[in-house]
Amino acid sequence: MSKNIHELEQIMFPPDGSGVKPYEWMINPTRQRQWIDKQGVFLWLAFFFSEIGAGLYFVSLFYQYKPGLVLGWLITLILGGLVHVAYLGNPFRAWRMIMKPNTSELSRGIWIIGAFAALGLLQMVTSGGFNIVFNVIMGILCLLVISHGFATMKVIRALPAWISNMVLPFSIISGVWIGQQALQLMFVFGGQAELVSGMEVWAEAFYFIYFLCLVLYVWGTWHANEIGAASIKMMLSDELKQITLIGVVGLAVVLPLVLTLIMWGGDTNGFMVFLRLASVFAGDLAVRYIVMKSAVYKPLLERS
Amino acid sequence: MPRWGMVIDVKRCIACWGCSIACKEEHFLPPNVFWNRVLIGERGKFPSSSKLILPILCNHCSEAACVEACPTGATYVREDGIVAIDDEKCVGCRACLVSCPYQQRTYYDKEVKDREYFPGQGKTELELIGEKLYPFALGTVIKCNFCTERLEDGIKKGLEPGVDEDASPACVNICPVNARVFGDLDDPNSKINRLIMEHKGKQLRPEFGTEPAVYYID
Amino acid sequence: MTYKTDEIWEDKWVNTTCGVCYCGCAAKVRVVNGVPVKIEGINESTMGGDGPGLCGKGTAGLMYYHDPNRIKKPLLRTNPEKGIGVDPKWKEIEWDEALDIIATKMKKIMDDDPNKILFTNQTMRASDGPHNHPYFYAQAFGVKNNGNFIIGGGSLHCGNACHMLGGLIHGAWSIAPDWRYTKYVLKWGSSKGTGSGHSAMTNARLRADAIRRGIKEVVFDPMGNFAGGKATEWVAILPGTDTAVGLAIANYIANTRGEMDILYLKAKTNFPYLIREDGTYIRNAESDKPLIFDSREGKIKEYDDKTLAWENCALDGEYEYKGEKVVPCFVPFKEHLKQYTIEWASEISTVPVATILQVAKDWVDNAQIGSTITLEGKKYPYRPVSSVTFRGSQGHSNGIHQVAAIDLMAQLVGAEDVPGGTLGWPAIRRAYPGGNYEQTCKAGKDGVIVPSVFYSHDPWPVHEPSLPATNMGCVDVWTHCTLSHIPYVDEMEYIHEKFGMKSKPEMIFGIAANFIISNSDWDTAIKNFKDCFVVQNDLWVNETDQAIGDIILPDVSYLEKDCWSSEIDAFFFSGSPSHENWYVHMQQPVAKPIGESRFFMDVYIDIADRCGVLDTFNAKLNDYYGVADPELQIKPGEVLTWKEIGDRFLQWIYGADHQKVQDQGYATWNKAIEDVYWRWDIDTRCPVYMEYLIHDRRAMENIFEQTGFDVEGLEFDLDQYSPLPTWFWPESHKDLDNEFDLLAFSYRDILHTNNTTFQNPYIDEVSKMCPYTFTITLNTTMAYERGLKDGDIICIETKAGVKETGIVKTMEAQSPKVIGIAGQGGLWADGRPIAKGKGANFCKLLPSKLKYFDPIAGNMETAVAVKIYKV
Ligand code: SF4
Ligand code: SF4
Ligand code: SF4
Repeated sequence: MSKNIHELEQIMFPPDGSGVKPYEWMINPTRQRQWIDKQGVFLWLAFFFSEIGAGLYFVSLFYQYKPGLVLGWLITLILGGLVHVAYLGNPFRAWRMIMKPNTSELSRGIWIIGAFAALGLLQMVTSGGFNIVFNVIMGILCLLVISHGFATMKVIRALPAWISNMVLPFSIISGVWIGQQALQLMFVFGGQAELVSGMEVWAEAFYFIYFLCLVLYVWGTWHANEIGAASIKMMLSDELKQITLIGVVGLAVVLPLVLTLIMWGGDTNGFMVFLRLASVFAGDLAVRYIVMKSAVYKPLLERS
Repeated sequence: MPRWGMVIDVKRCIACWGCSIACKEEHFLPPNVFWNRVLIGERGKFPSSSKLILPILCNHCSEAACVEACPTGATYVREDGIVAIDDEKCVGCRACLVSCPYQQRTYYDKEVKDREYFPGQGKTELELIGEKLYPFALGTVIKCNFCTERLEDGIKKGLEPGVDEDASPACVNICPVNARVFGDLDDPNSKINRLIMEHKGKQLRPEFGTEPAVYYID
Repeated sequence: MTYKTDEIWEDKWVNTTCGVCYCGCAAKVRVVNGVPVKIEGINESTMGGDGPGLCGKGTAGLMYYHDPNRIKKPLLRTNPEKGIGVDPKWKEIEWDEALDIIATKMKKIMDDDPNKILFTNQTMRASDGPHNHPYFYAQAFGVKNNGNFIIGGGSLHCGNACHMLGGLIHGAWSIAPDWRYTKYVLKWGSSKGTGSGHSAMTNARLRADAIRRGIKEVVFDPMGNFAGGKATEWVAILPGTDTAVGLAIANYIANTRGEMDILYLKAKTNFPYLIREDGTYIRNAESDKPLIFDSREGKIKEYDDKTLAWENCALDGEYEYKGEKVVPCFVPFKEHLKQYTIEWASEISTVPVATILQVAKDWVDNAQIGSTITLEGKKYPYRPVSSVTFRGSQGHSNGIHQVAAIDLMAQLVGAEDVPGGTLGWPAIRRAYPGGNYEQTCKAGKDGVIVPSVFYSHDPWPVHEPSLPATNMGCVDVWTHCTLSHIPYVDEMEYIHEKFGMKSKPEMIFGIAANFIISNSDWDTAIKNFKDCFVVQNDLWVNETDQAIGDIILPDVSYLEKDCWSSEIDAFFFSGSPSHENWYVHMQQPVAKPIGESRFFMDVYIDIADRCGVLDTFNAKLNDYYGVADPELQIKPGEVLTWKEIGDRFLQWIYGADHQKVQDQGYATWNKAIEDVYWRWDIDTRCPVYMEYLIHDRRAMENIFEQTGFDVEGLEFDLDQYSPLPTWFWPESHKDLDNEFDLLAFSYRDILHTNNTTFQNPYIDEVSKMCPYTFTITLNTTMAYERGLKDGDIICIETKAGVKETGIVKTMEAQSPKVIGIAGQGGLWADGRPIAKGKGANFCKLLPSKLKYFDPIAGNMETAVAVKIYKV
């Protein structure tokens, strides 16, 4: 019987990944799919990589650590940029995306990344690149690149789940937090134990800000409006529950907290630093995934 | 320059889906691609509940979210109010698609192109000739174009959109109960403006600030 | 995006007639390089929707041509075993071989007993073409009447009772409100004007204007969906209880308010006819005519006596005729109504007392009894109220009384075939200017109207039930059946044996019918038909073909069909009820036939020729079209194709304009207003008092006694043979108990015509966007109380143990005591992969015992007591 039942559904309303039946489309809250389903995962990865690359670059500025700059720059451009281009329907026309900076956040983002690429390169190749002017300019650019993904999402009024005011602070802190983690690990590999331990105080601070922002984001979205709340509910739906619990709660929040507490006060350990980076890395991917996957449109029919 | 718009009389509409299917035929749309749909819902409690019917299509918004989001300028508002997509400029970033509060856009990729109306049985003559007569560019976004070709050809022949069949959108023509009326929003005497005035026409989801050119009357 | 014009060598529009449902709207098809690519309506014709309008399923009709599953060669069953789930092991054969097998078989049976051949067709023109022709065709083989026709289209769910009274009251196949002038419409289980029913889009267009004009439309229906969902007021009612509400309203009109159109009752009904104690008419011994008391002269006269003025026909009093006490039949009629109070009706129907009362009041108030209207210089009584019904309310074991009660309201206020009232869907068809084909109704026995053309039989005068039964349908006994129910009845063999039916069917010759799955219990249908040699002309191998078909001949779809006659006899089938031009549309071939498919009319001719009955068939055609010009008649010995026949007959029908009409694909000409509002011009009387049923009852009693027919055992309800519209519980309600506590009912979905539309991928796609089309609907609260929610899979089970599963969709707008299933889903034929598995099948749930059929018109009880549970 159960096989039959499955067939009934399959035949009449074959699931298309939207989570709603065709007759519920835009009648019940309906998920955003283009930017996460199918090739949409590229966009999710692209936003993530440009964020952490720029984060690493940003933190490295404070340590005037060139390998960090190089790696951050490469992650942002190669992983972030190329993956983004691969997502496009017509990658060879990607250059056209610079055409509408006046209205399109996406277009503005391309300009910013362009500037980041050019000036970053300049900074890396010029000796004495770490001068204050350069650092400030690059710092700002890094923050803009970090928040580029979420900024693009935030302007989409159609998806109220993304319009919370916490979106930008949250995205900046996640970039910085992971960037800091990455740099810390680089120092581990570089055998600079003192730096590693010294950085731990930043890790502690960033973690708690990150956690706070995450909570505020969820809280804000829940209270922003009905549709925002529907998005949050969707995070706990059958389909997303596992990712939410394991990815977001487990990897982004609990495990890093445990590791941070263990290493509290600079009692760092290379393996644990690595473990924490891996955890926040996966955790942040999960957060982004959930945020993209659970964004729903406001139905077009008003029921009451 | 006129500004084209449409009035949908929900009171007349009987939810026959003629508009949805006529649009598919007019533009040879592949399976599961709709430029125009009819939503069915319900309001109220038994026994005084009522059925809700909402035919939807691209609103050709004058403050279009899609136009704003488009990074290339491929999506733009024409002088006559039609929100058009230049498929030679479209990069396929789907920012417009995600941004449209009415979800009126479809990304046309290989998977969509390869769909068959009779799955596994190959494309029919209809689908094959459609790909020649009305080709879409892979990796771009498509949507209702207010039947631009019909309007333009009709106007060239001296016909009047909204009045003459050959200058009017396919969905307007097909509607068996005259629930869809097409015309010029800039002409205060046009039939659509009269209907909007008389029956207090409303736009869909005005809170998004998109200023749709499609109005609903009840 | 531009059209690549250089590759186009042909781009044209062809006018034709839509064939997706039985309404036949005007349609035109765009053909590019020989490929049909788009369908629209025809702006210049009023037939169908507004301007070039067409409904969704009509627009989707393209796919009938493009479907790769169409059969392309004749198929022969090689597996002798039949039944559901048995592979027929089809073998493709040549046309000649197929026709040879068929003709040999048919000839042999015909020579033995033509009543052993059954015919069927589908009232749906994806395949079926000229409506009436299968009937003459059968006659050419020696078949006597409609008893050899097994219903194949809308099935017995459709309109036996409606058609019976449509014929007797309006001389028409069906009815419609006069949308142009009405102010108040009551719809009972009907979606006229909101998507289904006859002339669906013509009515929809007229209704839309009426609704915008501000008319009130009250819909009594178990669900507020296609009709109720669009009504100004939807009233939830239990299936089959409309009679109760109708009679209570009639009682209010006649007795509580006492406001009736008295002149109408005197002039246009049989209410003044004098009856004796036993309820039968007294008649003039010589002329056999019923009698009326002339209140001015104080004399009893024949009803059509020239000296009897309408206003002097007595409706009350008590008189003496040849020593017998006699009264106008209106006297007991009015008295009979008194028992039907609004409170009583409310209890039965679940409609609140206040609602019934309000409707009754609004009805009388809006009827404007006494008012007149002048149209085109002619003064007419103006009665802007209309009460219409179709499939929903009449499809019950009390069908005749349902329809009679609903009609009665209009009778009492004189709102029949006058401006604003209920119109026959038309009774008359005038000739094209300069042409010759004309059909008008006339008064028959007892002043009752005789329809000019009817689909399958003559509703009037009815012959008395008699023995022996000579055909499968036993219409000798069940005389009022438009199409008989007996072939679907579980006790068929017993009935045949008792009634001396000797012509056990050996062959079925059908057109795209799906009668196995579209009537009632599938097992009974298989049992009753499986021994026949089944030949069908079809587009696909449908469920019936797969289960019991022996030879399937590939038919053309309407898009490939050259059918000059498609609408000519269909004025009563596709016409506009309103005062709009006459129109007749042809089906013109839009593309070449698929594979080796052939139009069934040509197959008919070929087989008739092989069986040696072509001359008889041709003579019947000459006769039907009234072709009097010997040049144009088909002459003995001539073998003409359908098209060649058309080339001649069209000259007769359209005179000098025939070529123009043919080129254009349709004709439209002026309809005089008198042909719409004919009630007071044609001297007929409505048999509201159904006196003929008393005689039928006696004859039935006789037959039962003579044959020892087990009336009690079969629970045959003779009491329904009552001249007075009376409340009888529908059989489904009697089955309700604690366990089987819900009534399942079905309704027509705007997207679907029977089951063929399920195979259309365009329709399939949009069906998924309708919450109700493929699902089983339950009232939201009721579902919640039973622990059910949207998307759950439930099993529906009947007392007979028949089960169907489906997906739940809850809706507020549905009576909490019913469950709804749209159309005819739940299909399984391998030949229609798009249709396969979609929706749920309602028909199979219907029990097939004789008691579940209306004892008079043979309507099926289309509600069934069920239990539901989650699986
Ligand atoms: S409805 Fe959507 S796609 Fe159409 S113009 Fe408005 S925002 Fe753009
Ligand atoms: S205007 Fe044309 S393109 Fe737009 S929905 Fe109607 S038929 Fe489709
Ligand atoms: S064609 Fe007209 S009646 Fe049919 S669904 Fe569309 S708007 Fe409604």
